[in-house]
Amino acid sequence: MRVEYINPSVEAAFNVLKEVLNADVKRGELYLKSTTMPVLGVAALVGLAGDVEGRVLFDMSKATALAVASAMNGEQLASLDELGKATITELANMITAQAVTKLHDLGFKFDLTPPALFTGDNMEVSDHEVEALIVPMEVPQGKIEINVAIRERA
Amino acid sequence: MIANGETLTRAEAVDQRKQRMDAVDFKMVTFALSGKDYGIDIMNVKEIAKAGKFTFVPNADNYLRGVYNLRGDIIPVIDLRIFFHLPAEKKHEDALESMLILRIGDHVFGVIVDNIDKVVGISSTQIQAPHPIFGDINIKYIRGVVENLDRLYIILDIVRIFSPKQEEKVLPPVAAVTASFAQPLPVAPAPLNENTVVSTSDLDFIKETLYANKRFATSEMNEAWVVARFKEWKGMRKSADVQLRDQADAEAYLEGFYSPSSGQFWDESYADAMMAMLPEIASRNINVWNPGCGKGLETYSFACVLRRRYQNARVKIWANDSDLLSISSAPNLVFDMEELPDYCREFTIKGKNGYSFSQDLKDSIMFEYHDVLNANPFPELDIVLARDLLSFLSPADQIRVFNDFSDKLKSRGILILGKNERPVPIDDWTSLGSPDISAWSRAD
Amino acid sequence: MKTRQDFPSINDREPDGLRDDGQKFRVLVVDDSIFVAKQIGQILTSEGYEVIATAVDGEQGVEKYKELYPNVDLVTMDITMPKMDGITALEQIMGFDKNAKVIMISALGKQDLVKKSLMLGARNYIVKPLDRMKVLERIHQVLIK
Repeated sequence: MRVEYINPSVEAAFNVLKEVLNADVKRGELYLKSTTMPVLGVAALVGLAGDVEGRVLFDMSKATALAVASAMNGEQLASLDELGKATITELANMITAQAVTKLHDLGFKFDLTPPALFTGDNMEVSDHEVEALIVPMEVPQGKIEINVAIRERA
Repeated sequence: MIANGETLTRAEAVDQRKQRMDAVDFKMVTFALSGKDYGIDIMNVKEIAKAGKFTFVPNADNYLRGVYNLRGDIIPVIDLRIFFHLPAEKKHEDALESMLILRIGDHVFGVIVDNIDKVVGISSTQIQAPHPIFGDINIKYIRGVVENLDRLYIILDIVRIFSPKQEEKVLPPVAAVTASFAQPLPVAPAPLNENTVVSTSDLDFIKETLYANKRFATSEMNEAWVVARFKEWKGMRKSADVQLRDQADAEAYLEGFYSPSSGQFWDESYADAMMAMLPEIASRNINVWNPGCGKGLETYSFACVLRRRYQNARVKIWANDSDLLSISSAPNLVFDMEELPDYCREFTIKGKNGYSFSQDLKDSIMFEYHDVLNANPFPELDIVLARDLLSFLSPADQIRVFNDFSDKLKSRGILILGKNERPVPIDDWTSLGSPDISAWSRAD
Repeated sequence: MKTRQDFPSINDREPDGLRDDGQKFRVLVVDDSIFVAKQIGQILTSEGYEVIATAVDGEQGVEKYKELYPNVDLVTMDITMPKMDGITALEQIMGFDKNAKVIMISALGKQDLVKKSLMLGARNYIVKPLDRMKVLERIHQVLIK
């Protein structure tokens, strides 16, 4: 992934998580991965378009998703219902949008597409010819793995 | 009850209307590859055949199974499974392969698939754009996907896959081939393989220690240097002391391996030698891949050299490294005047904190945090600059990555390795001749 | 015994959501996320505003505005939505009612989007994540003009 895209993305994740969860957010070490990704249980996917093609995936366990959605709604949700899912989707949207905004200011013109949420224990999101940068984030509610795969449009 | 004048029931009328809307305007021949269903536009399919004996053609890409005599016409035969890196069913020696004979313009060739199914007619409106989320093969080869009778077919863009440019790589001169219309030749010589033999010689121990301490893997690529160095090393150390005891020893052994100006700006003489070595390149767009670029000084040096050498071309360099710390500062480096070699000066501008490279030059370089062992989307390359990279990969990875370089390099492309690295097998490559620079292009 | 009524609290003030005539300001919320719609709704109702309708995409937003006209005091408009995005919807609403008061609320903060919205007639632009105080302040500013 282009070096210039990394910092804005990580900063956006950090800022948004800190603000919406109002808690301590820790970032783990970045690394690269390139194979089909088994999903931790809940995955929010936001597409990227414009100068690049790709997507940002937010990966977390069902328990973490529920805890995060509850915290963001200010009430304990019993299960990951429509509201809970919309909450996680909106979290993904905000983080990606903030990254896109920062990158736009640096001269990289991206757009994002409306997000989608996938749940399912054995779901595999398969990417071909694309390597992903993994940004592990640790919040009180658990681990959120941000998985970014961007490729310059030829 | 059907009244006079009414010839269709309401349901039939609805159906007919639907059929008119979804008229069949696209027919495809469907077949299987590794358990999945594929289709090719019937307009490109000349005929279907079951074939056995292909005449093997040496020195061709591995997916070229050989050539076939189609009623007098010699056509190349490509194994689509190997082409797409899919597992192929092993058929018995004498078994016949399922083959589609395709025609694109004047070119006719055969493709081998697992088995051929039937002709399916659909409405082109039903074809959906391919989504990277499914499919085992590169999305650029897929025209679209369509569902028919509960089966999902991936429609291949056969023109993209076998466009004339690609074919040049595939077809050896036909004349040479027609002359040898005989029994299949034995399989091509085996490539580099992992050195798994454990022996007890001093040199072998040294090789193992080099790998353990510095991740330096001795292979055909660099063996000549390792052996020559061993002679020197023995002379330098007393006989009891030959072995490498720790990392410091390993580093001492490797002194002299590295290419000139490693990790720094290339000095004037090296840059001049590089300029002199670089041959003419016909294209207006020159694509360069520079894996293992570290902090980027090598990349900037090369970018300046390329600008001066190929003044009428647009140069684009993809530079990457898997060390995040090193590469993340690459796009924004600032220097003092004294640090910059002369041949770089014309491409720099003065800023508040010092000199940096002009926006124009920087725009031609894409620095990426990337692991060369992962898949990458680089286009066909004119130059690969990988100095002292392969030697620090495991033997298996060396082969993989080297093959990747080879696949991506254009037929007239240039491969630049470390000073003491050589391509394998060396007979496939011609040296572009320079003592300090290990540069190669494919042997004709 | 003294009751609370004996001490007029200096902290008492009229909630912003009430107009001078005591009626609540009527707000149309346009956002495709039920979470965001809920969040904005909560912020608004806590300050006395009334959410008279919610729309899940730009097209619905424009329809609802026209239906409820002239009884919409304010519209909050998301940008990234399916079917019709917020900028297009803004344009259509302004075309229908040049005095419409629309505030953009989006996760995207790109300079060109902000400029475009304001030029098309949006009164303000708020970037998510939403800060309750900031949202209320901005809305209040727009409505008192």
